Amino acid sequence: MSEVLEAYPGAQRALFRKYHIGGCSSCGFQPTETLGQVCVRNNNLSVDEVLAHIRTSHDEDAKVLIDPKELAELLKQNTAIRLLDIRSREEYEAVKIEGSLLLSQPLMQEILGKWGQDATFVVIDHAGKTALDGAAYFLGHGYKNVRALRGGIDAWSLEVDEKLPRYQLG
Amino acid sequence: MNAELEKKIREALANPQNVGEMADADSIGTVGNAGCGEMLRLWVKFKDDKGKRVIDKATFQSFGCETAIAVASMATELIKGKTAEEALALKSEDLSGGLGPLPPMKIHCAELVEGALRSALEPTTTACPPAATEVAPVATGTNLIDSLSQEQKPGVKITFLPPTAK
Repeated sequence: MSEVLEAYPGAQRALFRKYHIGGCSSCGFQPTETLGQVCVRNNNLSVDEVLAHIRTSHDEDAKVLIDPKELAELLKQNTAIRLLDIRSREEYEAVKIEGSLLLSQPLMQEILGKWGQDATFVVIDHAGKTALDGAAYFLGHGYKNVRALRGGIDAWSLEVDEKLPRYQLG
Repeated sequence: MNAELEKKIREALANPQNVGEMADADSIGTVGNAGCGEMLRLWVKFKDDKGKRVIDKATFQSFGCETAIAVASMATELIKGKTAEEALALKSEDLSGGLGPLPPMKIHCAELVEGALRSALEPTTTACPPAATEVAPVATGTNLIDSLSQEQKPGVKITFLPPTAK
């Protein structure tokens, strides 16, 4: 699987979105497993079909991403869009987009239990490295309108709100 | 996942039963690892019923799979009035009975609840431990929920960039 992930960086997200594989430790896989072994463990999925799906993962990722400026425009038109911030509490308290919600254990339960699968929300991280993974986690659980902010809050600061300070970690 | 199962999970999630910590629990069981995001913790309170020690109530907290939340919600109702031995005799398929048969890829969600129940009720952990027993998850490896918790790692040092960096 490590070679599959190296060749197709979006493979894990693609696998979870469609097959509920690789989302949490219980349905995860080992880097040393082969794709064939993972398919056998998961209801004998067809390796060819799964591979074909993985090959489309880059296009699927692109559909999930939303540009900062596009999001800013959408927020002006639709106040029902929620912003889900998946960064650490320290980062959230230092810099945040107004109205965004910090992901926490109680909030995760509220999302899974009460938001409903038609809820529209955008996952925000620091610089766009993990928001796609976060969005894929929810998409894999059946949520239909989840996007990930391209470039994270850092891109938002550069492209939408210059008053929002940029930062680095470490 | 078939539509009927999905509907039942939705119904269970719309009004989950017995969610939350229990301050005066007699025993606590945990499966998974809070540090890596996926975790299910179960609190159990016993009462005396005609000389038998039976489960009075059980509550849970879960971070992760929605099916596990649905199963935990049902399981905490199902074990009420049972002795620890009777509750331990329940298999994961009993605990998820209200949802009907689970597809192979979702069976682990019910097993997570069964694991938490064992952790809470088996003799070695029934003495109300101050810290819950952490049990290794079924499988480990890279997964999406780990990515989320990595991003949320506490204690990070933030250095603001000068405005010229824009």
